[in-house]
Amino acid sequence: MPAFIRRYLALLAKEVDQLRRNRVLVVQLMLPPTIVLIIFGYALNPKVRDLRVGIVDESFTAESRDFIDALTQNVNFNVTHVYTRVEDAEAALKRLDLDLFLVIPVDFARTLHRGQMADVQVIIDAVDANTAQIAKGYLEMALQNYNNSNLGGFGTAIGPRREIMLVNATHPAPPPGAPDVQAAFLYNPGLVTSWHYVTGVMSIIMFINASLVASALAVKEKETGTIEQLLMTPAQTGEMLFAKATPVFVLMMVVLFLSLVVGMLVFGLPVRGDIWLFALAGALAALAGIGIGIMIATVSKSQQQAQLLTFFVNPPLTLLSGATSPIENMPRFFQKLSYIDPLRYMVTIVRGVTLKDAPWSALWPNLLALTVFSIILFSLSAWRFRKQ
Amino acid sequence: MKKILAQAWKEFRLFRRDKLLMVLAVLMPIVLMLLAGITGSLRLRNVALLVYDYDNTPLSRTYLEAYGAALTFRIVPRKPQESPERALASWRSRAVLIIPQNFERDFRRGAEPTVQLMIDATDSNSATALGNYADSLNTAFAFQSGVSRPPTKGVNLQQRLWYNPGLSDRVFFGTGGLGLMLIIFPALLGALTTAKEYETGTIIQAYASSLRAVQWILGKALLYVVVGMVEFVLCFTLGLLVFEFRFPSDPTILLVATVLYLLAGVFFGMMCGNATQNQSAAIQAVQMGSFLLSLLLSGYLIAIRNIPIQIRWISFFLPATHYIQIVRNSILRDAGWETSFMPLVMLLALSFAFFLLNAVQMRKMQFKG
Repeated sequence: MPAFIRRYLALLAKEVDQLRRNRVLVVQLMLPPTIVLIIFGYALNPKVRDLRVGIVDESFTAESRDFIDALTQNVNFNVTHVYTRVEDAEAALKRLDLDLFLVIPVDFARTLHRGQMADVQVIIDAVDANTAQIAKGYLEMALQNYNNSNLGGFGTAIGPRREIMLVNATHPAPPPGAPDVQAAFLYNPGLVTSWHYVTGVMSIIMFINASLVASALAVKEKETGTIEQLLMTPAQTGEMLFAKATPVFVLMMVVLFLSLVVGMLVFGLPVRGDIWLFALAGALAALAGIGIGIMIATVSKSQQQAQLLTFFVNPPLTLLSGATSPIENMPRFFQKLSYIDPLRYMVTIVRGVTLKDAPWSALWPNLLALTVFSIILFSLSAWRFRKQ
Repeated sequence: MKKILAQAWKEFRLFRRDKLLMVLAVLMPIVLMLLAGITGSLRLRNVALLVYDYDNTPLSRTYLEAYGAALTFRIVPRKPQESPERALASWRSRAVLIIPQNFERDFRRGAEPTVQLMIDATDSNSATALGNYADSLNTAFAFQSGVSRPPTKGVNLQQRLWYNPGLSDRVFFGTGGLGLMLIIFPALLGALTTAKEYETGTIIQAYASSLRAVQWILGKALLYVVVGMVEFVLCFTLGLLVFEFRFPSDPTILLVATVLYLLAGVFFGMMCGNATQNQSAAIQAVQMGSFLLSLLLSGYLIAIRNIPIQIRWISFFLPATHYIQIVRNSILRDAGWETSFMPLVMLLALSFAFFLLNAVQMRKMQFKG
């Protein structure tokens, strides 16, 4: 057996022994995929429901009550309070007792009977811009339905669509004569929200945990002073580095498949592409993560500093990767910046393999980028390690 | 009191010696808040839309223009011989619009031609929103071309968006980000310093000294609350510059809430440090307990009402929930004491509870006599 393999094996045995004694670390590694993934998948549900609606009904007629019923008879709105004065409703909105309120004017029924447009005011608390936007959409949809059904709002013109009475729960039918947009939702026809987050978080875990654990292990050697002993041995820095990385790498691969299994069992995540691609991307991401971790360890003097630095490095990587919010939504500069985020490629590949069965021609550039990043990060960390 | 100050001074000298820690503690909140606030936006812009126009008539091109003019969509060129499914599968676009042959003829005849929109629904939330956008563009097109008419009778909604008329999500994420930064870093610092005492064994000195547990805790907390206040000022300034913050007319509410919040954060961190007695485990505990839970369940990202009921109660016990509410009340709604009263009481209760837990942990370990 060549000497370098012997030395590597000896070092590996030492690392495994150390890791075995460090139960906390192993728990730290195994906990996130199970608990974090489940919490994320269930909690991150951007659907808006149960908006609290206040009503100021100054008209107080059968028509106005009809209108309120039509608008609020779905799961999205909950009429919680009815006020007689607008000022009371305003105060309630300010106290956060309401999300929005409707003001129906005195002449509501009269105007309707005259065959004119009756104005109804709606005031929405728009501090949460996203929720406000969605609430607005719901209201408009409910209103369009009301106008179509109760009053024949679009006049007497009947298009072919009207004849077959297209009943659609989420979309009111477009006005007669308009083209029909048939939306087909590919890859996720049931619109399961958790799939997007679960795949994103899965990739994040690979990266963050690898860097966290690697930096903790590497800096510990420095803190306890045993690094001097290591540097005195005949082992080369490369061998040392590989010996350090191997157990972490193996553990991370276990984590990868554990999180995939959790995703499949708990959230019904499909795996439509080639599993080996998923494994390969995971391995590369773990290597890149370990590289980052070791680099951080070489820069910092104590565990405290190392942990803080990982805290500093990881969130930007996570935020820019598109794992939680789409990259297109970001300002252009940040979109460009996301290209130097290795996590971005990992997220793309994971989603491509599990949800999409993306063609090889689309996957290989991402795989290549990830490979380049992990090689660069790993060799940089080796170089830094040697310089100590 | 003197002993508390002395303890705080000792902490400060330790803190000052760690230059990296100092820089990070001050710099990190700003950088993170900036990134989180800017990248967190959920509003769709510039979504790549691939177009297959099999009609190729003036009308079909006008129809496409309606999509191209919207900020939401960005029409991208298509490769020859590429199928829509393949384009979607390889991320060349997020949606594909297919206009059938005879689109113009059918439209003029009033036959309501069908247009297909294929949407990549891996991100189901964006996919739903895209479908809705396309619907409203479609209706607007029908009205504009004069084929359909908007209703002349019925009900018209006059919408007023209060507190944030431009529907800017910067303000929303900025205020949430402020709350998030002020729980992560003070808690982290508190956890690190406490765990370090155990690791280096200097905690024994605290036991042996005449310092009482309460004084030791308060002295440590004092310094990190001051550091937290510096972070608050910096983050608030950033908010004014980038996130459209406004000065509340009564800043005392916000200040009182910030102090209580920082105390809660530091006490929580110290609690983690006491419990784990190990720096990296303490950091993990803080990461789970304050960062992750606050990120998900405090109303920073998603409204608390939308969280499944099984875990929604947790958010009631998170300081971040109440603080973020106060921040938004003060900065965006400019509300007074009355609105923020309950959250303030909750903050007070939580920080006191964390303090008590600390005191109990410490008292158990003090030397007798």
